[in-house]
Amino acid sequence: MAAENTKRRIDPKLLSHGGMDLTFLTLVLMLLTIGLIMMFSASYTYCYYNNNGDSLYYFKRQFFFAVVGLAAMFGASKFHYRAYRFMARPLMYASLVLLVVVLVVPPPAGYEGFHRWLYIPGVVTFQPSEIAKLAIVIFLAKDIGDHYSEINSDKKMTLGNRTLYARTFYLLRYIIILGLFSVLVLLENHVSGTILIFMLGIMMLWLAGFDSKWFIVAGVAVVAVAILVILKPSILPAHAQPRITAWLNKDYDPQGVRWQTNNALYAIGSGGWFGVGLGNSKQKQLYVSEPMNDFIFSIVCEELGIIGAAIIILLFVLLVWRGFYIASKTDDKFASLLVLGLSFQIGLQAALNIAVVTDVLPNTGISLPFFSYGGTSLMMLLGEMGLILGVSRYARVKKNLF
Amino acid sequence: MARELKSKLNKRAFTALLITCILGFGMGAFGLINVGVVNGEKYKLKAESQQLSDTKVSALRGTIYDANMNPLAQSADAWKIFINPSKISDQETMETIAEGLSAILDLDYETVLEKCSRSKYAYVLIKSQVEYEDKNAVIEFRNAHKGYNQIIGTEDDVKRYYPFGSFASSVLGFTGDGDVGRSGLEYYYDDILTGTAGRIITAKNAKQIRMSSDYSTYYAAETGLNLQLTIDQVIQYYLDTALENAVKLNDATYGYGIVMDVETGAILAMSTKPDFDCNSPYAINEETETKIDEELADEEGNIDEKAKSDAVVAARYAQWRNRTICDSYEPGSVYKCITAAAGIEEGVVKPEEMFNCTGSYEVADRTYHCSHRAGHGVEDFTTAMMNSCNPIFIQVAQRLGKATFYKYFEAFGFAEGTDIDLPAEFEPGADVTYHSFSRLTSVAMASESFGQTFQASPIQIINAINAIANGGKLMQPYIVGSMLDEDGNRVYEREPVVKRQVISPETANTLNMMMEKVVSAGTARNAYVPGYRVAGKTGTSQKLTLGEEIYVASFCGFAPADNPRVSVLIAIDEPKAGAFTGGSVAGPVAAEVIEKTMQYLNVEPQYTDDELARLEESVVKVTGDTVAMAQKELQSKGFTVKVMGTGDKVVKQFPRPGQTLSKNGVVVLYTEDMDPAMVTVPNLTGLSVAEANNVAVACGLNIRRTGYTKGDNIASYRQSSEAGTDVQMGTVVTVYFRTEIKEED
Repeated sequence: MAAENTKRRIDPKLLSHGGMDLTFLTLVLMLLTIGLIMMFSASYTYCYYNNNGDSLYYFKRQFFFAVVGLAAMFGASKFHYRAYRFMARPLMYASLVLLVVVLVVPPPAGYEGFHRWLYIPGVVTFQPSEIAKLAIVIFLAKDIGDHYSEINSDKKMTLGNRTLYARTFYLLRYIIILGLFSVLVLLENHVSGTILIFMLGIMMLWLAGFDSKWFIVAGVAVVAVAILVILKPSILPAHAQPRITAWLNKDYDPQGVRWQTNNALYAIGSGGWFGVGLGNSKQKQLYVSEPMNDFIFSIVCEELGIIGAAIIILLFVLLVWRGFYIASKTDDKFASLLVLGLSFQIGLQAALNIAVVTDVLPNTGISLPFFSYGGTSLMMLLGEMGLILGVSRYARVKKNLF
Repeated sequence: MARELKSKLNKRAFTALLITCILGFGMGAFGLINVGVVNGEKYKLKAESQQLSDTKVSALRGTIYDANMNPLAQSADAWKIFINPSKISDQETMETIAEGLSAILDLDYETVLEKCSRSKYAYVLIKSQVEYEDKNAVIEFRNAHKGYNQIIGTEDDVKRYYPFGSFASSVLGFTGDGDVGRSGLEYYYDDILTGTAGRIITAKNAKQIRMSSDYSTYYAAETGLNLQLTIDQVIQYYLDTALENAVKLNDATYGYGIVMDVETGAILAMSTKPDFDCNSPYAINEETETKIDEELADEEGNIDEKAKSDAVVAARYAQWRNRTICDSYEPGSVYKCITAAAGIEEGVVKPEEMFNCTGSYEVADRTYHCSHRAGHGVEDFTTAMMNSCNPIFIQVAQRLGKATFYKYFEAFGFAEGTDIDLPAEFEPGADVTYHSFSRLTSVAMASESFGQTFQASPIQIINAINAIANGGKLMQPYIVGSMLDEDGNRVYEREPVVKRQVISPETANTLNMMMEKVVSAGTARNAYVPGYRVAGKTGTSQKLTLGEEIYVASFCGFAPADNPRVSVLIAIDEPKAGAFTGGSVAGPVAAEVIEKTMQYLNVEPQYTDDELARLEESVVKVTGDTVAMAQKELQSKGFTVKVMGTGDKVVKQFPRPGQTLSKNGVVVLYTEDMDPAMVTVPNLTGLSVAEANNVAVACGLNIRRTGYTKGDNIASYRQSSEAGTDVQMGTVVTVYFRTEIKEED
C-alpha cells in the first residue's frame, strides 16, 4: 500500500476523505445563486449605459467566474487541510510582496492615489488586500494552531538573554505581523480593507485565547480612535475625510459625496417591507452609482423588501454559524481556526457592508460577499468556501455523498 | 487538558459568533428598520421626486363665441423666450444676444442687455407669448452662434387671440401670463375656460431619460369648456358703433349701453366706450396719453415719471372697467316708469287721471320744481309722463305711501345686484347708495319718485325696465347662454330665470302704451323709429360734482311696444358739447340701435299712414331701355334722372334696381360703358329733412333719413359718408336726424 502511494503524485495524506457538510454547501449555493440574480438585476441598466448597450456584460463575467469559482471550491475541498498548512508562510510572504508591489505600480487614470488593484492586462485584475485577508487567516490559523498550548499556559521562553512568557512573545509577534499588513493596506488608501484585516486579526487573536484584558484594551483603543476620527476627520487620508463628514452631517454633500448613500436610502425606503419586486428597482436606473458593487444591498432591499433583505442576512448568519459548528466539531486547531477565520471574515464583511448601506457606518467601500460584482474576489471567496468544505470532511458532522 | 483547551477555543469562537451576529448584523438590522420602516416614507417620497418626470399636458383655454358661434376669444400655442445669463461669459456675447433678441422680438435693446447682465441668474424671461415665426427666428439666431444653445431657451406658452380687437372688450376682458383670466368674462369664467391640465408621469433615470412606458401613468387633460355668449356680434356692432359716434359727437367721457332680450333677460349687446384692445390690454390710447401729459406737465413742460406711471395705471383700470355693470348713477326720470308702474298696479292713479302741474310742489320744507318752471298746467297722467313732470310723480309716490313705494323699489331690484355672470358688479348699499326703508323720509321718497338721491347701475335699470316690457316678469340677466365641450356638445344650457312677477301683465301693458307715447310725442322723441313702435323714457341726471354742471344723459326703453323683443339702455356720461339732456343726447343713439336691431331681427315694420306717406320708392330696372323710355318711367315715380354719355340705350344704372330712394332721389343712367361719375359729399348735418334732401339731390346724391324726422325742430347730426369724400354719383348717404329736447326731464 505504501508502494502504491509513492506512485501517486500527491501524497494521499493530503487528500481529504469523507463527505463534505451539505448544510454549509447549501448555504453557499443559495447565497451564490441569489447573489448572481441580484447582481444581474442591479447591473443591467448600468451595463446598458456603460457597455454599449450590453445589459448582460457584468452578469456574463460574474457567471463565468462563479462557474470557475465553484470548480475551484470543489477542487479545494478535495485537498486535506494539512496541504494548506504548508502554504501559510509562502502565502504570507507572497502577499506582503504583492502589497508592496501594488504601492509601486502606478494606478490607472482616474484612480490616482488609490493603489488597490493589480492589473495583469487581459488576464486578471485583483486586489492584493483580498489575498492578504486569506494569507493572514491561514498564517494565524497555522501559527496559533501550532503554539496554542504555549499561548494558553504559563510557559516561559528565553529570547536572547531575556526570559518571558511564551504567550507574550506570540502576542507581540502577531501584533507586529498584523500591524505590518494593516499599515501596508492603509498605504493603499484602503481604509475599509485595513479595518477588515485588523478586525480579522484581532478576532484570530481572540480565538487564540490571549488574556481578555488585552481585548478590552484593544476595544477601548478602537473606540478612542473612532471617536477621534469622528471629532477630527482630518487625520484620515484625504479621500476618506468627506465620507466621515457626510456620515455625521446628512446634509453635507459637496461633489455628491452623499449621492450614493442617499440614493441607497431612497432605494431601501422605496422597497418597504415587501419590495417593488425582482427587477423593478428604479433606483438602479443610474441613481445608485455602480449599483452592482458595494451598494448592491440597497437594490436588494428595494426589490425584495426588508423581508427579503432579512432572509439574506439570516443566510449569512447561518453560514457563519455553520462555520462555527464545523470548527467546533473539528479536533485539529489549525483546521478549526481556519474555518472560523474564513467564516467570520464573510460574516464581518457582510455585516459591515449592510451597516454602510443603511448609513449606520460611514461609506468605506466594503463589498458584499456573493453579491457584489468582482470576478477574482468571487473566485477567491468560493475557493475559501472550498477550504471550509474540505475541513468539514473531517469534522464530526453528518456525512454525505459529495 | 486538550479537551479543556478545545472547549476554551469553542467558548471564544462562540463569543465571536455572538459578537458578529448580534453586534455586526444588529447594526444592519437597525439600519434597515430605521431606513426602511421608520423613515421609509420620507425616503420613498424623495426617491419618487427624483424618479418621476411630471410633464404637463396643457389644455387650451376654451373659446368664447358669440350667439352665432363667431369666435370672440381663442387660444393658440405660443412660446416663451428666456436666457441663462450665468452662461454668458463676455461683454461681446452679451451685446450680440441683446442685439439679436431685441431685433427679433421687437424689444428695447437696453432692457435686454440689462437682463443679459444678471450673471447670477440662470433663468431670465425675455418675452412671453411669442408667436411661431418669431420663435423660429430666435432659434435660427441661436443656432447661428456657437454655444448659444446654452444661453437662449424656449418654453411652451399659450396666447389668447381676440379676432375683433376691442370688440366687446369690457365684457370679454383679457388674460394675463399663463392664460389666466384677468378681467371680464375671462376672469369670471376662468375655471371653466381653463379646464385641467393633464399630466404624464413617467419614471426617468438619473440621466433624465424616460424609462419604458410600463412605468408611466397618464392623466388626460380636461380641456376647458367653450362659452357661447348671448351677445350677438351684429347687435354688438350696432351698439358699439352708435356709442362710439355718440361719445365723439357729444364730447362725452364715456358712453355705455346694453341691449337685452326682453323675454329671457339674455344680454344681446353690452358696450362701454371708449374701451381697449383685448389683444393689448395694457396699451392706453394716444388720446388718453396726451391728456395725461397735458395734465401732468409743469410750467416748463416736464413730466414727473412716477406721476405719469401712476396715471397710466389708473387709465388702464379705467379702460378695463365694464361701466354697464360696475358703475352707477342716479337713474333720474327713467325711474318715473317704476313709480308709475307701482301707482297703476296699486290703483292709486290711472293713465287718464287729470293733474295740475303748477311748476313746483312742496314736500315738508322742500320745494321741488318741474323742469318746465312755468308748469304744464292741467294734464292727464300719461301726458305728465310724456312731459316728465316731477310734481305729479311726487304725488303718486305720496299716494302709494312709504311702505308700498319702498316695496316696489325693492321688487324692481334697486336694492340688490342683478347677479349677472360678470365680475365686479355694483352692489347697492343700504343707506349708502339708497335709502333703506327706515331712513326713507318723505323728502327722500319725493326725490326717489323721479329717480334722484339713489344710485343704480345700468344693468339694474335696464333689468327693471325690461320687467315692464316683459309683462311684469323681472328676469335674471345673463350673458353666457351655453357651454360647449371641445367636440361642440352643449354640456350646459342656461335656462331663463324669472326672479319674480313685479307687476301684473295688465299694468305692464298700460305702462307700455304710456312709454310708447313718451317716444312718439314726449321727451324721448329722438328714439322714435318709423315702423317700429318704440317705448321708453329718458333721464338726465346731474352728477354730484360741486361747481360743475355735468350730467349723465340716458334713455331706457324697448321695442316694439305691442310685442317687446329687445330692451335698450343708452347712457352718455358727461356730454360736453352743448346738448346734455337724455332726450337730445341718448335718444338718437337708442333710435339708431333699435332700428338696426329690429331690421336684423327681422321684425316686420308696421308703418302708420303718416309714415307711409313719407316712404321711399323702389328703383326699377331700366337698363336695356331707350334713354327716353327710362327717363319717363323713372320721372313718373318722382325720381330725378341724370344721363351720362351720348348713347341711345341705357347700359348701366346707379343706384341699381330694387334700391329704395326718397321720392325725389337721383338715378344716374349711363349710355356708354364708362367710369362712374364721381361727386364730393357735401356737409349734410345741421339741416332739416327737406334741406338735407335738397342739398343732396343738388349734388347728385341720395339721402336715407333715419332717426326722428317728424315734427319741428329737427336737425341732422350725423351722416354715413363724411363731408368731403368722393363717392359715385347717386350714392345713398344715410343722414341721422334728431330733435332738440330741452326738458331735463
